[in-house]
Order: sequence, then C-alpha cells, then structure tokens
Amino acid sequence: MALTGLQIYKLLPKTNCKECGFPTCLAFAMKLAQKGTELDKCPYVDDEAKTALDAASAPPIKLVAIGAGERAFEIGNEIVLFRHEKTFYHQPGLVVRVKSDDPQLAEVAARVASYEVERVGMKLRLDGLAVEHAGGDAAAYAAAVAATRAAAPGLPLVLMSGDAAALDAALSGGAAADRPLVHAAAAANWQAMADVAKKHGCPLAIRAEAGDLAGLVDLSENVRGAGIEDLVLDPGTAGLAGDLVAFTQLRRLALKKGARALGFPLFADAGAPTWQAELARATQAIAKYAGVIIIDHLEPAAVYALLTLRQNVYTDPQKPIQVEPKLYEVGSAGPDSPVLITTNFSLTYFSVSGEVEGAGVPAWLLVADSDGQSVLTAWAAGKFDAEKIAKTVKDSGIESRIDHKKLVLPGHVAGLSGEVEEELPGWQIMVGPRDAVDIPNYLKNVWGA
Amino acid sequence: MSRYIATRAIRGANAIVAEAEAMVDDAIAELGPDTPVAFTNTAYFLPVVYAFTGRKIEKLGDLPEVIARAKALLHPVPAESMWLPYLGETLDSGVATLFAEEAIEGVRFARKLEPQIIQLSHAREDGERFTGSDLMVHGDKMKLNGPIDDIQLRAWGIQLVDGRMPGFCAVVGCAKSNEVAVKIVRELQSRGILIFLSGNVNGRSIIHQLQEEGIQLGYDTFTVPFGLDTISAVYALGFAARSALTFGGMEAGQARDIMLYNKYRVFAFVLALGEVDDLKYATAAGAISYGFPVIADTRIPQILPTGVTTYEHVVSMPFEEIPGADDMERTEKLIQRCIEVRGVKVKIAKVPIPVSYGSAFEGERIRKDIMYAEFGGKRSHAFEFLRMKPADEVEDGKITIHGVDLDGMNEGDALPLGMIVDVSGRKMQTDFEPILERQFHYFINGVEGIQHNGQRDIAWTRVSKNTFAKGFRLEHFGKVIHARIHEVFGNIVDKVQVTLTTDAAEVDERIEEARLAYAERNERIANLTDESVDIFYSCLLCQSFAPNHVCVVNPERVGLCGAYNWLDCKASFEINPTGPNQPVPKGIVLDPVNGEFSGPNEYIHAHSNQTVDKVTFYSIMESPMTSCGCFECIMVLVPEANGFMIVSREDPSMTPCGMTFSTLAGTAGGGMQTPGMMGMGKYYLTSKKFIPADGGMKRVVWMSSNLRESMRPALEEVCVREGDPDLLDKIVDETMATTVEELLPLLEAKGHPALTMDPLF
Amino acid sequence: MTAVEIPVEKWSGAVREVTLGSSYGGGTRTSTVTVGGETSLPFLGFEGALPHRPALAVEVVDMKPADWSPELVATWGDDLSDPANWAARAVEEGADLIALKLRSCHPDFGDRSATEARATVDRVLAAVGVPLIVYGPGTADKDNEVLVAVAEATKGEQLALGLCEEKNYRTIVAAALGNGHLVIAQTPIDVNLAKQLNILISDMRLPLERVLMDPNTGALGYGLEYTYSVMERLRLAALMGDAMTQQPMICTIGEESWRQKEGRAATDVPEAWGELAERGVAWEVTTAMTLLESGADILVLRHPGSVGVLREALDDLTKGA
Repeated sequence: MALTGLQIYKLLPKTNCKECGFPTCLAFAMKLAQKGTELDKCPYVDDEAKTALDAASAPPIKLVAIGAGERAFEIGNEIVLFRHEKTFYHQPGLVVRVKSDDPQLAEVAARVASYEVERVGMKLRLDGLAVEHAGGDAAAYAAAVAATRAAAPGLPLVLMSGDAAALDAALSGGAAADRPLVHAAAAANWQAMADVAKKHGCPLAIRAEAGDLAGLVDLSENVRGAGIEDLVLDPGTAGLAGDLVAFTQLRRLALKKGARALGFPLFADAGAPTWQAELARATQAIAKYAGVIIIDHLEPAAVYALLTLRQNVYTDPQKPIQVEPKLYEVGSAGPDSPVLITTNFSLTYFSVSGEVEGAGVPAWLLVADSDGQSVLTAWAAGKFDAEKIAKTVKDSGIESRIDHKKLVLPGHVAGLSGEVEEELPGWQIMVGPRDAVDIPNYLKNVWGA
Repeated sequence: MSRYIATRAIRGANAIVAEAEAMVDDAIAELGPDTPVAFTNTAYFLPVVYAFTGRKIEKLGDLPEVIARAKALLHPVPAESMWLPYLGETLDSGVATLFAEEAIEGVRFARKLEPQIIQLSHAREDGERFTGSDLMVHGDKMKLNGPIDDIQLRAWGIQLVDGRMPGFCAVVGCAKSNEVAVKIVRELQSRGILIFLSGNVNGRSIIHQLQEEGIQLGYDTFTVPFGLDTISAVYALGFAARSALTFGGMEAGQARDIMLYNKYRVFAFVLALGEVDDLKYATAAGAISYGFPVIADTRIPQILPTGVTTYEHVVSMPFEEIPGADDMERTEKLIQRCIEVRGVKVKIAKVPIPVSYGSAFEGERIRKDIMYAEFGGKRSHAFEFLRMKPADEVEDGKITIHGVDLDGMNEGDALPLGMIVDVSGRKMQTDFEPILERQFHYFINGVEGIQHNGQRDIAWTRVSKNTFAKGFRLEHFGKVIHARIHEVFGNIVDKVQVTLTTDAAEVDERIEEARLAYAERNERIANLTDESVDIFYSCLLCQSFAPNHVCVVNPERVGLCGAYNWLDCKASFEINPTGPNQPVPKGIVLDPVNGEFSGPNEYIHAHSNQTVDKVTFYSIMESPMTSCGCFECIMVLVPEANGFMIVSREDPSMTPCGMTFSTLAGTAGGGMQTPGMMGMGKYYLTSKKFIPADGGMKRVVWMSSNLRESMRPALEEVCVREGDPDLLDKIVDETMATTVEELLPLLEAKGHPALTMDPLF
Repeated sequence: MTAVEIPVEKWSGAVREVTLGSSYGGGTRTSTVTVGGETSLPFLGFEGALPHRPALAVEVVDMKPADWSPELVATWGDDLSDPANWAARAVEEGADLIALKLRSCHPDFGDRSATEARATVDRVLAAVGVPLIVYGPGTADKDNEVLVAVAEATKGEQLALGLCEEKNYRTIVAAALGNGHLVIAQTPIDVNLAKQLNILISDMRLPLERVLMDPNTGALGYGLEYTYSVMERLRLAALMGDAMTQQPMICTIGEESWRQKEGRAATDVPEAWGELAERGVAWEVTTAMTLLESGADILVLRHPGSVGVLREALDDLTKGA
C-alpha cells in the first residue's frame, strides 16, 4: 500500500536540513509519495524508517539506463497501467536492428544516428541500433560492432547474440564503454551471459519462450543472484495478441502484485517482414508497456509516425501540451487575409488551425502564450486578457504583413472586445465563433461580408 | 374525480359503445364481414385499438371484437348516492369510447363516408387556396382531411419528438364567434402548435367558422380539419398513439407505456369550445388517459389535482368570465392558460429587437461620444430585480413602461431606471432568483450597441446613438429579458413579465423594495447550513482532465474553483437534469466532527473510478476532498508551525512549506486525495465550516498577501467571530516570510494561537 | 520452477452488442456487422469474451472530394467521381462497411436536396451488400433535413446515422427510432459528455443497442493521446458496469489523419518525413492501431492500403479469441 506524503513525513527526521535538495522535509515527503525522488537522498533517515519506507517508496519497475553519454536513454520506473491514472514517464527506446553480416551495416548505423525530425518544438530521434549476430565467429561479431560504433559514435547499442564469447569479444573491444544492452540470457546460457554483463557492467536482457512467464521469473532470480541489477525482460514474441497479453500481465504483476523478479522494463521485438506490419506491431508496443522496441525497417515515414506516437502517449495528461506561441501562416496568407488569435494549448491550436485550413481561406493565426491553457481556462486564469492579446499582436509583427487592422477574437472572450480595442488603438476587433467548427462558416460568411 | 364528470363520461361511453355496436352489426349485415376497413394511407390499422391491444383490424368482421373489448371496459352509471373515487371507471370509459369511435370511423370508411365532405356557405372561386395535400374544394363542397396519413405523421412526429413542434391541440366544438375562432388558431399557430379541428355545437363547427373567414386549412398551415362530429376527434388520439409506436420505440399492445410516453413526451391538450355533452365528456376522458388535459371555455366542474396528467386534468375557463378588454384579449388568455396547463414550453427563435443580438456584442464599449443615453452610473441610479410570483400574477411577454422612454430623452441624458422582472414557473424556486438575475448582465450585453455593467442596485447601462437610431426603445430590454430567460431557463420558468420605469419617484420607491429583497437573500444564503439540507451536489466538470476527481459542494463550502456554490449547483441540476451537477443525498452522518457522511462517500466512490472511498468535509488531515486543478488557492499543512498556510493562484512566491503554488498544484491536483493538502475556493475561508475539526481560521499561519488584502473586511469578520479580532494580522504573508525558518519566529512574536493549540498530528 | 499467478481482472460490465445492417424487414443487406460484446479490455482474451472483431469501414463521399490528399486521389482514381463505384471498390479492398458522407448537401458544397441525397444512398445500397453508415453534410439544419429523408427512404436497412450531437440529437434519434436505424453519438473528447449524450438519447427511448459512440478522434500528432485516454476511460467504466458508457466506439481515423499536413504534403517537407505515399498510410495505420488498443470497435478509413494492413493486424489480434 502506497504511503501518503503525510505518513512519509512522520517517518523523516523533520529537520529541514535541505540536503536532499528540497527546502523542507514535507516537500521531500510529498515528492517521495509521488515516487518522484528516492529515499537515498535523505542522509539522516534512520533504519527503522528506511525499512518502513523502502517497501513503499521503491519504484515497482526499476529504472534502467541503456547507453552512455548524451544519447543514453532511461526506461522503466513506470507506476501506472493507464496513462490517465498519472502519466507514463520514460519513453521506450526505438532501436533499429541490423545483422552483423549486413554489408550496409555502417551505412544503416549512420542513418539511424542522424535521423532527426522536429515536432512541436522538440527534436525526435531514434535511440539506438541493435547489432544481431548473424554468421561469423566472435571476432567477426566484434568487428561488426566496432564498425557500427565507428559509423555511429555514441549511439546506444543492443548487442544481440546467443554466444557469450562473441559478446565478450565485442564488449572487450571497446563497446563496454557505451554500456549497451546485452541480449539475451536464456535458460540455457544465463550463467555465461550474466558473467559477461557483470564483467562489463552492462544491462542484461533475459528472454524466455513466449508464454513462459515462470521461466522469466526463474531467469530473473538467477541473474540477479549472479549480481546483475539492471535487467530488461523479453517475454518472446507470439503475434500481436500474444504479445499484448504477455506485456499486460508483466506490467500488472510488477505494479499490482509487487513481483520484484518482474519489476523491470520490457523488451519488444516488433520486427516483421514488411514495414507496415512492423508499424502495427511497434504501435502496440508503444501504447502497451514496452521499454525497448526493435524494428527492422528504416522507413522514414514509419519512423516519423512512431516517434510522434511515442511523444503523444508519453505526454503528461495533466500538463497540457503547448505549441510555440507565435504567428502561424495557414495557407498562403497575404496582406488582406484575416487575423485570428487563440491560445497555445495544443488541442485548441490543432482544432483552430485545422478548421481554418479546412475553410480554405488563407489566414494568419496568432497564438498567444497562455501557459498551454485553452481559451476559456486561460481567460478565467487571467492568462488571456486584453493586455496579453494586445501584446501578442504587437510583438508578432503582424501589422507589417497586413493592410487592414482587423483582429478576430475567439467567441468565448467576446467580453474582452472593448478592452482589446482600447489596448490596440486603430484596430477593429471582431468576434469570431465560440467553437472552432464554426470557423469555416465565419470566415466565408462574416469575414468576407 | 368529479362525480359529475364521471357520471357524464360513463353515460357517454355507454351510449357510444351501444351506437357503435349497432352500426357494426348493420354494416356487417349489409356489406359482409370481409369488407375492408382501412384508414387513409396508414400501416397502423385502427391506431388506438392497435396501440392499446395489438389487434390489427382489417375488415368489418374484425370489428365485433373491438366492440367486445369496449364493452368490457364499461361501468354502470354511478348511482346518485354513490360517492367514491371514480377515476378508474372514468378512464376505462374513456378508452371504451375511443374504441367505439374508431370502430364507427372504421365503418364509415368501409361505407366510404370518410373523409367527410361538407357543404360550404357559398362556393369559393379561389379554391386553389386550399392547397393542403388532401383538401379539395369543388364548388361549394369541401373534402375534410380525416385521419393524418403516415407520411405526414412521420414529418410531424419527428418534429414533435425533437421539440421543434411544441405540441398539438385538439379543438372540439365551436367558438363564440368567427373572430374568436380565427384568433384561437392564430394564437396557436404563432407558437408552432399543431391544430386538429373537429366537433360541433348545434351543427356549427369551428371548421365552418374558419372556412367562412377564409382561413387556409390543411397540412401546410398545421391546421387540420378532421370532421364535423366529436367522433372524429379520435383521429387526434390515433395520431398520438402512432407517434409513440413510430418514435417511442413502443410495440403495439404496450398500452401503459404508450400512455405514459404521451403524457411525458407529447405536449397535447384538448380545447373544448361550447357546450360539453356526454359524448364530449367521454371522449375527453379518453384524452385524459393519455395524459392530455382538457380546457373548456364553458362552466364545467374542474379536476385540478394532478395525477394522470402532469398538471390539472380538467380546467374550466368560462369565456365570458375571462378578464379582458374584449374577446381578443380573452382568447389570448385562454390559450395562454392552455399552454400552462399542459406545460408546453415556448420557444422564441430570435430575440425580437431592431438591432443585432449575440455574444459577439458582449464586450462592446459605449464611449461618451457614441452614447445616446445612460441609466445608472455616476449621474443616476438604476436597479434590476427579479422575483418569483404566483402564475396568475404573471402575464407572459407583458412589458410595461413607466415614465419617459428613450425617444423622450435628449442625447447625452442620464435617467434612473428600474427593471422589475416577474417570473413564474412550476419548478421555479425563490432560491433561484439571484441566479437568474445575475444573468441579466450577459443577456443585455448581447444587444448590439448596449453596454451593461454591474447588477442589483449598481446596474449601469449605456445605449449607443446608432442603436437608438435603429429604433431600440426601453421595451426591447424587456423583450431581451423575456426571450433569453425562456431560452436559458425554460426548464424552470414558464412565464416572464417585465416592468421598466424611468420615473424618478417610482424608481426611488421600488429600489427600496428591491434592497429589502437583496438583504433577505444575503441572509438566506448566510443561514444556509450543511445541517439545514439533506442534499449536497456533485460537480464532475473537471473529470475531463482529472478523471478521478469528484467535487461535492455543500452549502457551507463553495466549489474549489470558486465558481459554483450549492445554490448554483442546485439550479444547474434543475435546468439540466443530466448535466454535471447531480444531487448527492447526505445520507447517514458517520462522523459529525470531521464531517463524514455516507451519501457523499458512496457517490464519490462510484464516480472516482472507485479510487476514493472516504471524504471528510471538516478536516483535511486524513481524507480531504480531492482537487482537480482549478482551485483558487491551496491550503497545506505547515507541520513546524502546527497550522496551515494558504497560497493563492496569483502568488508565484516560494512558501514556508517549501513548495510554490505550481509545485503544490502538481502535488494536490489531478484528482488525488492528499492528506494535509487541499485545493479550495477563497470564499471557503469565510465559512463557519472552514476546517472546523482542524481548528478553523486560528490554524492559518500564513496566507498570500493578495488574498488577505482582497478579502480583508470579510476575513476580519471571521476573526471576530472566532473570538480573536487581531488574528488576521497575526497571519504572516510572503512579504514577511517565504521559508519556515523565517515564519516561526514571526509567529512567536505575534503570539499566533496555532503555536499553542493541540498538535495536529 | 516458479508458479506465476496471473492477475485477472474481474469485470462486471460488458460492452453492448450493436448490429449494423439488416437483411429482412425492409433491409436488403447481404451481410451484417455486429460489434461490441466485449467483457475484457481490448484483445485480452484471457480475462473475458471478445465475441466480435472490430470492423473496418471505408469512407465514401457523394461528390469528388476537392480537398483530399493527392495520394488518396491517385489511389482511388476515377472511382472518386461515383459513390456507387467507389463503394463497390472499397468492398473489394476489404471494407466490412461503407461510411457514406453526403457532403454535396452542404450549403457551401453544392447544397443538394434531400431527394438527391436519397437517390445517392439508394445507388450505394444497390452497389454493395455491406451495411452503411450515412453521415449528413455536417450542418445542423441540413443534417436534419437530409438524414430524416434518407432514414425514411431506407426504413429497415439498419443504417448508422451520424452525427448525433448534443445540439441536434433529437431529430436524428427520432428519425432512427421511426425507421429502424442506428445513431452515432459524437461528443468532444470527454467521458462525462459522452455519458450525458447517451443518457439523453436513451431518454428518447432509442434502445442503446442502436447507439454507437464517437468520442471524437484526434489524429496522430494532433491530439491522439486525448482520444486514446478518453477511450480507455470509457471502456474501463463500461467494464466496471457504468451502463451509459457501454456503447461500442467508432473512430473516424481516415478523415482525421489524412487532413493533416503529414497526410497531404508531397513536397517541401523534411526528408525525415519520408514519401507521402508511405507517410499517409503510416499516419492512418498508427492512429488506427493506437485506438484499437484503447477500445475502438469500428474504424472509418480512407486508404485501401491501410485497410489491408489493419485487416492483417486484426487477424493477428483476434486469433484464438
């Protein structure tokens, strides 16, 4: 049972020493209750309290880092089954798989490393490369890994081989410095794999046959017994339905049953013969609980879709997503095009820009900074008032791009029109519809009229 | 149930069933049992019989069964000495009458006597004016409509069900004069009410009266002549039965469901004109069984208690006794009464004023240079006052102007203005008066070229030159208020009348009346306590982003957003019964000190996706209400100070608990229950139920300065009430301390009571 | 060997079964589609029944769409000019249903009459045997006029009529009630508004077995996560026994994904976006798959390629169920 912040506070030293980085013990306790920090940060907590708190405060799914340096990524530490219950915290790593004997290995590696696409002001990238041991001996594998590292320096890797010696060779050849994920320890080779992972200080994936969760538990106990702390669980692949069931069961076991052996991020092999089928598999993996997702196709359109989906699913539902507050041009707007203003809550922006675009009337869309609140909420909170509107208009430079001075306000803030008129002398303030769906009609029948 | 009506209805039923039986027997003997019986273009056979019994009547040979069923529903006429409730018997007789009447119409169709052809007083040359689909005029003959066909049933039925058509009126008999007949039809038409005509008094029917006056009859004008006899009124009830079958998802034979459907969904009523004979009583009893009330323009016994119908069953309004200057006014009142008795809701499609109207005009500023005149403000005083009145003291749509109108003023003038709005409604409550009145600001601001500020006795309205030039006058304020109240509050208000006065003496006199009422209202709200009610209200508006959050608003705690108090929620529920504010019965008091009640616990559990099962209203230490994110302030424990601090949304500073407002919002928000922490509306601070179990205002050790200053007078009152008049200034704010280390010595120095109170935990 | 106790949720509620199309009582369909009936979260066959697989509808417009993505225009070719051909081809491509949009009745796009709309619906009904969803032009007055006429002319076909929104549900519900059709209730991405509309509709006595709900689709990158979470919440509430959330859900995937820039722009886009032909389908498939995972029962799609991919995915997802 999770403890409330107040219950945790009672167990803390209550000295407000600030060494944990929080100004008060209460603030620290509240953050602990949200599982947003760790108890270790408090140097003075006594053992009794520690025992009581540990159980309650340890994240049910361990946070595991893959890679080293700037492009390293963390997965795990999730606390809910559904994002609306709180949020999903750590985006799954999207990793492209190449075979070690692929003559284009270096080229693919470079493309993966350089792939980048921008969305809502954020740069989205692929997270790594999985080098699958295909043919050749340990030395050949090590060479392939080295070639990959040379082509894509700093890119996190997943080393996929059933041959511990090959992995050891690759890691000894320098790859260990990148802290790759070693994949995978299975029932037959777990000891050797654990030894390699431990020797090189790498996270280790354990893999059981599809449907064999008990096998996964055994493996987990074994490799953790061998001193490996950072695990990733690969429950095997069994088609979309089978995978969904396995991933759901694993997440539930970790969160609801407190199954420590299964409290680790999950590994999803989404690979499929076509990029389309693969896209479907990877989509499910993003929506449902994967920590690492392997794909085989470097199809830019699919990768773009997956990175966008990941960004969507991993946004905090209680913190509105914001779009950049600025002047947007919808269609090829000219000096006589209408100027509409709205707020920078992403949904508001999407609805308004979508409808303006749908209307087929080129327009200027001014987006005011409302801290990501919708028009009504921002208005109520004083973040979308006449002053803010006037400032947005003045700062945007719109005046120099149009030959009229008409501004269309959202219908919900019709009450501001008089004030805005006072703040923006010389402007004619028009009141648009309340709902975005009525914009096309407004632009055609009112604006033009 | 009136014994008189029961007697007449039962007698009428017995007679018509006997007559029907004879007609059926004769017809079978004459035409043979296989002769088809069918109403015009319908798939519902004899619709009342079909709807009530599921029997499909297709030929004369099927009719004896109908007669048998009708007979089974007959009762002996009550003896003079009997004095029992007769409702059941009367309703049975009504249904028997409808069966018999349909059987008779069936026979008439078999004999090709329906639809009826009537003799006109003189041949009309402009016969083509009668363009209704089935209505034809041949020289001096006119063919009446008979029953509504299925195509028209669908067209109208949808409109009746979706509310575009408010209801229908079966007019039976003959009006006092042709003029009155025309006026009745016009009054009904202007409200969009469908009109069915039938019956006669001594041979003269309203159908004669209307055609003599050249009134267009037919589907196109929503005025359909059924027949000259009372019997044809059964077509109206057949129409209602078919609506229920078509649009109510009902199966033939579900008699009870069909009757209830008509009672609640089909806003129909019977208007009986002229003398009421036995057959009319019997037919009326049939209508009442559908929940359709009967209004008569003659003196008959009334049945006022409600039951089978939503409101009164039978209402008598002897035409000559209706107050009014002339017959036209009497007719208006008669129809108005019909509308009320049936509870038909009036829709006003467009606000009838000479300038544009809409929310787009809400924010307009009327500056001095474009102003024509103003009321209130610095140069005069004005007030607005809405009050509830008994139905008979309110005449819907009536607008009275006292004193000088706008056109009697000079440009730039200021005059006092009093606006008194009387409303009545069966679901209206005195408690809703201020809620409706508050909306005047928005209603009036929607007018192009009008600026309105304030409310109550600080109202201030400016009218622009342009708007005046377009013909806007004082009465249009009334029209706006009338139309908008009907639109927004139609669920609770039936009638609205408005008085506007610019007469200085009258304004002075009536403003005092209004002020008394304002004071009384303030007091009423102040006296409203958690103990004095049995119901709290929920608000689920914020579940869109905080899915497990349930606000429960009680009389002594406003919603945490500050926007909804208990009365607002109550009114919102009346206006929108399926909306976000639902009643939460208080249930059993589980803990009077901490304020825990069984009702809210159960409700919150069910509506929080089963994540919260206990909430205490008077303490935040263990089970505070959850918080969505809209709170005006957050209250949080400062354990070191043995008290609470309250930070407002406008205050960005660090606070003694070590968290800023936004960090606290992230911790307390999102629908989580966070002991020691709660989002709240700022007026909760002034409540007598401000965390009483935790010690109330004396526990507040720190408060954002803007909060204290903006609410100073009210808070000082609270401190006095708490017995520590200087308490408010013992509370520290962000200008004095933003850390707990700074806070504690200040509290010591000021002698804050929290330091010596019982430990909070 | 360790035994793992699999956590199984005990759900008390079920999604309602809703059938589109009829082959008797006035219906002329050669196949019908039943959706709903789930007693578990999507595709978790181990804890409940999943009696019907989600259905794929293809959107057909009654006039050649002027603003559609060039990729869609290229794919459908001349079929775009004739709704009957278009629908027939969609069925060949694997559609379980046709979603016919009467756009030409919109005052701004031709303002065709209700009579013409009826003729179009008749032609499409004649061209295919699968059930139909019919959307009005999307303006309240005209929707009422057109859908009422269509509903009457197709009595017994068990069409799904859309859209029913809070402002105009009465007329469309009445038309469905009177003529044996279904309605699609759309609300703006909110659990309580969806519930409220279902309550209002059922208050009019339309059986809830004839109501689909459309929680309003946000496309990938354009609010998808809001729809995703609202649908998860609706489905969880349904399974917990909240009667007013137990309607099968329909999502207008194609319309939303193809109208975004990603679905339309062939040139002047970053190289990382890939080619339009792949990108458009990728956008549609990703949006669709995500919403299948959160409980969608009917997907309305635009591209035949997406239909193929999703059909295969559904085969896989419903294997053994």
